[in-house]
Amino acid sequence: MARDNIFAGLEIGTTKICVVVAEARHDGTLKVLGVGNAPSRGVRKGEIVDFETAKRCVHDAIVDAEERSDVEISEIYLGVTGGHIRSFNNRGVVLLEEGREEIDEQDLEDVRTNAREVSLPMEDCVLHTIIQHYYVDGQDGVLNPLGLLGRKLEADFHIVYGIRTRIQNAIRCVKELELETADVVINSFATAQAVLDKHHKQLGALVIDIGGGTTDYVVYVEGAVKQSGVIAVGGDHITNDMSIGLKIPTARAEKLKLDEGDVTLGVAFPGETIMLRDETGFAGREIEREMLNQIINVRIREIFDIVSRQIQSDLNFLGAGVFVTGGSSQLRGIDHLASEIFGTSARMTPPLPLAGVTSAFEHPQFSTALGLVKYAHLVHLDRPAGKSFFGRTIKRLSGMFRS
Amino acid sequence: MVQLNPQFGRENEASPALIIKVIGVGGAGSNILDRTMLDGIQEVELTAANTDVQSLTASVANHKIQLGRNLTRGLGSGGDPELGLAAAKEASEDIQSALSGGNIIFVCAGLGGGTGSGAAPFVTKLAKETNALVLVLVTMPFSFEGRRRCEQATTSLQLIRQWADAVVCFENDRMAEITLPRMGIHEAFAAADLTISQSIRAIADLLRKPGLLSLGFDEVCAVLREGNARALFGFGEAEGENRAHDALAKALRNPLMHRGEMLANSANVIVRICGAANVSLGEVSMLMEELNRHINDGTQLMLGIGIDPSMGQKISVSILGSLGDASERPQPVTQTRRVQVPTPVEPVIEAESQVAKSVPEPESPAALQEEPEPVLTIPPRAPQNEAKPVKADPPAKPESKNAEPKQEVLQFESVSRGRFEKSEPTIIDGQDLDVPTFLRRHIKGK
Repeated sequence: MARDNIFAGLEIGTTKICVVVAEARHDGTLKVLGVGNAPSRGVRKGEIVDFETAKRCVHDAIVDAEERSDVEISEIYLGVTGGHIRSFNNRGVVLLEEGREEIDEQDLEDVRTNAREVSLPMEDCVLHTIIQHYYVDGQDGVLNPLGLLGRKLEADFHIVYGIRTRIQNAIRCVKELELETADVVINSFATAQAVLDKHHKQLGALVIDIGGGTTDYVVYVEGAVKQSGVIAVGGDHITNDMSIGLKIPTARAEKLKLDEGDVTLGVAFPGETIMLRDETGFAGREIEREMLNQIINVRIREIFDIVSRQIQSDLNFLGAGVFVTGGSSQLRGIDHLASEIFGTSARMTPPLPLAGVTSAFEHPQFSTALGLVKYAHLVHLDRPAGKSFFGRTIKRLSGMFRS
Repeated sequence: MVQLNPQFGRENEASPALIIKVIGVGGAGSNILDRTMLDGIQEVELTAANTDVQSLTASVANHKIQLGRNLTRGLGSGGDPELGLAAAKEASEDIQSALSGGNIIFVCAGLGGGTGSGAAPFVTKLAKETNALVLVLVTMPFSFEGRRRCEQATTSLQLIRQWADAVVCFENDRMAEITLPRMGIHEAFAAADLTISQSIRAIADLLRKPGLLSLGFDEVCAVLREGNARALFGFGEAEGENRAHDALAKALRNPLMHRGEMLANSANVIVRICGAANVSLGEVSMLMEELNRHINDGTQLMLGIGIDPSMGQKISVSILGSLGDASERPQPVTQTRRVQVPTPVEPVIEAESQVAKSVPEPESPAALQEEPEPVLTIPPRAPQNEAKPVKADPPAKPESKNAEPKQEVLQFESVSRGRFEKSEPTIIDGQDLDVPTFLRRHIKGK
């Protein structure tokens, strides 16, 4: 089996670890061959806190994916997240030397390097440098400056960086399982590939992926990544809030959240209660529904408020609206709440249909994992055009790890 | 009278002769009637009354009355209540003869249009004149149908309240609570009709089906006659492990309960629990205990238990309540809620007059004869006291009022981070996000 058209994506999530294997077909489409899944342990807020345990879980998920897809995985696209990941936008400038007017590939590389030359803290490293717009001699709206004539090339980039050692933990985990990391991708980008089509990106869209341990978001405006971020708050926090507020064990709170979780206020009948049965089947405690909803509501509202504050400047450009996905997006009424806070249309969305995906995986919970192979596919399609900088990023990262 | 005798014979076997008549006025009224008929209600006489011959012909009711034979000539009333009323007056003899002899008369109508809004109050009046217990079930128009129709409906509702013993009001705007927005409009209306027909059936069952603890006509009368003609109704059916709890929850969620905002203000509440022989005492006591939390201490609660082998594993709960002024408490509450509304002096006088009225009513059958008298005094209070609750109940305010004393109060621990105790804190804008949001915001319970 030809190796170069098979991609595998690995998401080490807080609740589950998921591996997707997909094949790029000759017609340019992607077909998923298998999805491996294992419950996650040793991961908190999207980051590994117990290396050995997490490694075993990753191993389980990979074995599961290999069995299902009948492919031996050797290289993997790794999704990363964590509260330490930050981003900013920066502009790079390159002046063409005297006597040369045609912009070539080297100039594109130079402008990228130039944009990246900002002083980051010592422990940080750049994860992504994503092109937003090019300007040639101050002229806007240049989609691809390669081959154009000009004296000055400028470009806006969205730069994502994080703490090097913490990203290396995930890479090391993969490495110890005898796998290569083809690329490190932040989860929000991967998720966006899974839930947005070209049209949405062009119109402007906000993707919010509320997972177990983190909330990842990314804003697309005019087809380009405008902002992104990670908030280390997710479904686990809701469970924890419920456990504290309602005085019930965490496991019970988790189940209650899945069964009854609702973010809408005022729909519960005053004094309406939910019966909690204990394992023996006897009537246990009663929980006031309004109180339960209130606890969940304030938490989700807070997450949305933080996102809303952080992307304030782009709120008016979300033509396609807000896309809420991830495991915790299944709380009832979350789309209405998002719509209320962001003042635009909002929907809870599963990943876009992908060939070979069984209905069990067409679920918001798998958006990121499926997005990883889509991302890999996009990078693969782009590569002949010379954008191989991702590979270099990785080489740099793994190089650091070795030294 | 001709129709009365055969029914007498049949009724005698089950329970004392109780004749139930249902009359549907206007197009919406006959739709409700059809739904009731299709659901297989027994021993009930159904009459459809409409100006529009076409829809009258389509109705499956066993008696049909054409309103305004000469006036509208078989066409509808064109949304004009005056015309609807005139048409009904023309057919008043037919209506009288159809209604006479009933012990309980249900009047169903959709308010807002011509026939429904115009004729329903008149029909209610005729029904009341037969000395029967008159229950009116009406639907209020969608707010998007325009202000004029809403006004017509409100005026008509006020008139109906003067004569009816109880009015159960279904607001079409609440239809969204029972169906999904994307559901076909046809299904949505069918669901609304079903809700109303369910209540007719449940009240009929309440009175006629034998039970372990049975409720009599007198008790239902007491509940409905005493109040101020505003009734609540809920019906729920459930099976499975938690069926008692689920059935009650469903009943309380019924759109005709108005989200239970007013249940706490009810003076009288009737509950009927029905199930096969497997209903346990535990279930009944649990259910009643839960229900007790929704009503206030002064409320008189009447319990009926019916055993119906055909229920199988299911259990059903019907709740019927009337908003009474028997207990003084709810009245001031309603008043303070509307302080901003002009005419603050009058309500006090009215409240007194109501109390005076409601005292002699319950015990004497003579109350029936006195009925016309309140008609004269009620109108002035109706516009202020009753017209408003109809429109003003959706806001959540009253909820918090009723629920407050029953709230569980969250206890404050010293900064609790639970399972995130040992993990790296997530601090954004100076807030430690690992600490539950509700603790940081000092939100108690509600």
